[in-house]
Amino acid sequence: MKVELVNIGKKYEGRENFTIRNIDLVIDSNQFCVILGPSGCGKSTLLRMIAGLNSITEGDLLFNGKRMNRVEPKDRDIAMVFQSYALYPHMTVYENMAFSLKMANERKAVIHESVLAAAETLQISEYLYSRPSEISGGQRQRVALGRAMVRNPAVFLMDEPLSNLDAKLREHMRVELVRLHKALNTTSVYVTHDQTEAMTMADIIVLLDEGKVQQQGAPSEFYNKPANLFVAGFIGSPTMNVFHGSIQEGLFRSENGLVVVEPNAEDARALQPYEGEKVCMGIRSERFHAGKVEKNSIEVKIDVIEMLGKEQLLYCKFPDGEEVVISEPGHYEYGMDEDHHFNFDLDGLHFFDAETTERIN
Amino acid sequence: MKYKTTVLDDIGNQHPRKNLRLKELSALQEKLKWSDKTERAGIQTEIKALPRKTDHPYEKELRAAREQEKLFLRGAKERRKKFLSQIKDTDRHLFNWQLEAAESAERYRFYEKYVDLSYDFEFEYKKHLEIAKQLPEAVIERRALLNELAEAETELQSLKGQDHSAAKAEYAEFRQRRKEERAAEKAELRESRRQGIISAKALINESKMADLSAKEDINSKKRSRPLPFAKDRVKNLKHRLKIEAKKKIKLLNSDISDLRRRTPIEVNKRIPWLSWLTILIPGLGQLSLGQRAKSAFFFIGTLYIYLIAIPYALGSGNYRGDGIAGLISLARDGGRLDRSIIFMIEGVIAVIFLILALIIFIISFRDVHTNEKKQIKGVRLHNWFETRTTLQRDGFPYIASTPAALLTIFIVLLPIAVTALISFTNYDPTHQSKFVWQGLANYKQIIAGQGIAGGPFWLITGWTIIWTLLATSFAIFIGFTLALLVNQDRIRGKRFFRTTYLLPWAVPAFITIMFFSILFSPSGPLTLALNSLLGNTDPSEMLNIKYTTWGTRIVLILLQGWLGSSYIFLLCTGILQGIPGDLYEAAEIDGATGFQQTRHITIPLLLYQTAPLMIGQYTFNFNNFSIIYLFNDGGPFAPSRYGNVAGTTDILISYIYKLTMQNQYQGIGSAITVVVSLFIIFVTWIGFSRTKSFREESL
Amino acid sequence: MTKKKKTKKTEGLYLSDRQPLTTAKVISLGISYILLIFWAFVIIWPLAQIVITSFNGNLTSYISLGGEYEFSLKHFQYLFNETYFWNWVVNTIGIAVATALLTLLIVSFTGYAYSRYRFKGRKASLMAIMLLQTVPTFAGITAFYTLHSIVNSAIPGFSRQMFLVLIYAGGGIASNTFILKGYIDGVSTELDDAARIDGCGSLQVYRLIIMPIARPMLAIIALWSFIGPFLDYLMPAILLNDPRSYTLATGLHTLINDQYNMHQPVFAAGGLLTAIPIVILFIALQKELVSGLSSGAVKG
Repeated sequence: MKVELVNIGKKYEGRENFTIRNIDLVIDSNQFCVILGPSGCGKSTLLRMIAGLNSITEGDLLFNGKRMNRVEPKDRDIAMVFQSYALYPHMTVYENMAFSLKMANERKAVIHESVLAAAETLQISEYLYSRPSEISGGQRQRVALGRAMVRNPAVFLMDEPLSNLDAKLREHMRVELVRLHKALNTTSVYVTHDQTEAMTMADIIVLLDEGKVQQQGAPSEFYNKPANLFVAGFIGSPTMNVFHGSIQEGLFRSENGLVVVEPNAEDARALQPYEGEKVCMGIRSERFHAGKVEKNSIEVKIDVIEMLGKEQLLYCKFPDGEEVVISEPGHYEYGMDEDHHFNFDLDGLHFFDAETTERIN
Repeated sequence: MKYKTTVLDDIGNQHPRKNLRLKELSALQEKLKWSDKTERAGIQTEIKALPRKTDHPYEKELRAAREQEKLFLRGAKERRKKFLSQIKDTDRHLFNWQLEAAESAERYRFYEKYVDLSYDFEFEYKKHLEIAKQLPEAVIERRALLNELAEAETELQSLKGQDHSAAKAEYAEFRQRRKEERAAEKAELRESRRQGIISAKALINESKMADLSAKEDINSKKRSRPLPFAKDRVKNLKHRLKIEAKKKIKLLNSDISDLRRRTPIEVNKRIPWLSWLTILIPGLGQLSLGQRAKSAFFFIGTLYIYLIAIPYALGSGNYRGDGIAGLISLARDGGRLDRSIIFMIEGVIAVIFLILALIIFIISFRDVHTNEKKQIKGVRLHNWFETRTTLQRDGFPYIASTPAALLTIFIVLLPIAVTALISFTNYDPTHQSKFVWQGLANYKQIIAGQGIAGGPFWLITGWTIIWTLLATSFAIFIGFTLALLVNQDRIRGKRFFRTTYLLPWAVPAFITIMFFSILFSPSGPLTLALNSLLGNTDPSEMLNIKYTTWGTRIVLILLQGWLGSSYIFLLCTGILQGIPGDLYEAAEIDGATGFQQTRHITIPLLLYQTAPLMIGQYTFNFNNFSIIYLFNDGGPFAPSRYGNVAGTTDILISYIYKLTMQNQYQGIGSAITVVVSLFIIFVTWIGFSRTKSFREESL
Repeated sequence: MTKKKKTKKTEGLYLSDRQPLTTAKVISLGISYILLIFWAFVIIWPLAQIVITSFNGNLTSYISLGGEYEFSLKHFQYLFNETYFWNWVVNTIGIAVATALLTLLIVSFTGYAYSRYRFKGRKASLMAIMLLQTVPTFAGITAFYTLHSIVNSAIPGFSRQMFLVLIYAGGGIASNTFILKGYIDGVSTELDDAARIDGCGSLQVYRLIIMPIARPMLAIIALWSFIGPFLDYLMPAILLNDPRSYTLATGLHTLINDQYNMHQPVFAAGGLLTAIPIVILFIALQKELVSGLSSGAVKG
């Protein structure tokens, strides 16, 4: 099922401003789309509009070209997994999963088969006749998934389903969810604020902030070509280092003068119109080379070292106190309070217009 | 008001005018608004020079188009006959849909010609285009389903003729096997239990699950046999047919309503005069605006107003009263059977009816008025489908609350209103049948402490306050203490104590009070016991609790302590059990003794959490009629200070009872009731508002 | 709390979970026990007397203690045969059941509506009605008489007892709605959403999801509405005129408020019979009843 959002906007009654506006999105059949964003950016609202639980103020929602704005949730051929699972507490797991089919007056034999099959896939057959209150959080989550699976929906919606699980289980379930998505052959729309989940699970990501789309596309694009400062800072851990400065004679000079970089040919061309203008330069922590070279070097003092095993994060400080995070392989030897030189990998630079925060190169 | 140059649809988009006459007019009016003095005269002449509505070329064109439309619509019957001959299906929906689709195809082709002429034509064009598009699709889908159903039904028929003994045998065997499996599972569970591997609770749970699992498996197998399976399939298909038909129609209506929201309308109106004109007849305005179904509902309202509310208020149909007039006259010049009180009550009922009628008027007027203004702006009105959907969605709470509201109005509000009104009359023993209004006379009497009824007012009030404070505090103190004592770690037999202390609350209060009253009667056991304790053997010197004021008062307070502590105890016990143990452990590490812990942790937390509920206890005792009345009828009497009505232990509420019920001083009684009620409402309201704020800042 | 039995091997080992007792603690524990037992006695004695005197055949019109005791059922016999006791029982149960049903019916809808829908005047109306209900009812008794006459003339056969049911139910609407609303507020709206996606319309969400979950609270409300008529002796006394149509509380009262027709022991017998089922109910469900009362305030 191809899901299209055309100029979608939502304004709540009694509020002056639109909560979200001008959202355009195309999700092809069988794609796994992640709607990403910080709290309060409107991602849950967007999901609920796709589900039909919130009304659409302006714009069109299309499922395979058919306009769905006024269609009731139960008629949209969707299934949804809620953050708190929303399992019916007074019914057994079996009844929870069978509920939607029962409401559709489906045949008993068919219901039984579907429920058992789904339970088998999700490995919850043992708990079929327990109540939700009697099973653990992870199991409840699988029941919620099973309830959605049984409907064999055309669109699968998930609202932060992993946020209530502990770290190890979350890792495991990330993989499980993608497997499930493939097995079900549906289009999935997944809402989260966790960029790791987004980066690992999505075919396409939509990053929202303050009701507007900041960037949409494949995960790699987000990492390698963030469209603006917000995206650059949101995606990637540790956060990208950003230097504020300006272009002087083709070189990037930071405000404190400690960072001077000569961009590569391609970037230099893009930066030409910005001569004399304020510009931000971003570089990811792993794009530094160790050692001093003629140009594009910095000298910093290591403040704190985070040892992660295969890599280590060096939290360094410039003489004037400004900070930078540098990632180096774990087997190098570094110590706290040491001074070191690093230089910039010119192919890993991101330039942003300081005023509009938009990407330049 | 002037015509605007653009029209707005319901979404907020602006559209240019198609009505050329209004377009010219509005453009000129707009120019006029922004013109300066010199241009003004010239523009005004232009406006006057515009052709009238009847002569304007656009209007002529429009009229001609409408004539064509009439002709076209008249041809619908002919077209229908033609279509009928082409449709072969017998299924109702298929039949109707095809008919409608065919007609809509003709219509949109017709309206296409006039799309630019008026938004109404544009809307009709779009609407019929949509219908002609969606209904044929629906027909195809439905046909497919019907074919499936026919297949399923033939299969069912053929299956019915067949022999199913094989399938039945298979099912029976499966069932047997499954039951054996279940029995084996359960036996295993019981064995585990016997060996102590699992707990009793686990045994029950797992057995239940084994039962459920077997039940579902057997049931499913049962329905999978060929015959039941086929039956289920037929049932399922029939259900789907019904649902799909409803869905398709709903979708179509939704899309049409969307068109309504997006296609504006132009009207030759600038002021919403219709709402004012039809204000007195709810439903007429709606009808004139074309909302027929909605108007029907409002017409019912009109019937209510003119056939029930107003006649009743004017006096007809009253039980014995005289409507609103009765409220004023209070049967002053009436016959022997005309009683003021009935006149008053029916007057109040008439007022209630009129208020309801007024509400209907207001709702109807607002509805027509808003819709008219919207229409003038350019918004197309809601059709019945849209209104009904909105009602279904948003109207539920109003409909759900109606029986409750009616009951509350007549059972709660009416008596209160009547009481308040009575307090302004001279309803007393000499004015039982007929009484008159006398303003604040009753209140003056009470405040000044005069008259038969008003005399002891302040004395009674004093005792009421003392009683409330002492009795409630005493009960709270006992309840608190008991809860603290019982909750101590090392106390054994908690269950026994808790059940026993529950009894005063569980046994209906009237029984215990009446019984204690018996025990304390002049020759009653407790009186005798008390006197033997004091050594009074001489009958003439006997101390009779119920004959002495202070005796009765003390016993009452003790008795209420006995009764009230029970509930407090239960409440506190519950709260004490909810206090986390870590607090005490932390305190112990900090060096606090048991007593200090109680004083600094337990008691403050307890008070904090129960305070809001305690207010309820105080107001309860303030109005604790039962104990005062049942124990000693408010006695003993002291006519010199209290008059003939009140006793020395009467509290305000029992005093009111005596005044109104036993001595027919309803007027004064009601006045006291009003004063007491205002006080209690005030206190309760403070309690409520505090409750919320307490809760938000709790643990 | 349990101390393990001391065996030869474990003698000398202190096995309890808690710290050993000091003398001061022993004394305070002793005082606690004394107070608790004393109060238990204070409670049990009068109640026991009710039981004892109702079986004391030696008493006639008045109750006295300490005289000769003769076990007999004659008071109960009198109660069953010479008074309208059975009428009262039937009346009371009938009124109680009707009140409970009517209350449930009305409040289940209003509780759901007030919880799940936002509409104008939501908070204000509830608060206002609850405040107004603190006004003592019998001040408007005359209004009830007249109302009943009016209703009776419109719907013949509408007895005073039915009117009593209306009064009881109507009086409880606001507070019960408040309590039920508070409870349903605690049910996540995500359940409603999930149900809508699964194919439920508004009424089905109410019937299949919300009401089953709210059953505990509905049971409490039904229970309170059921018990209410058993405890009230004032309304029936005022409203009903035929002693045969009285409820238990009012009827029993008639046995002791007429000086020339005093039947105190019979009253004790009747009181005992009335109290037993109610006490059993209370004891069995004390947790629910108390939580029901306080949750109204707790949920604010």
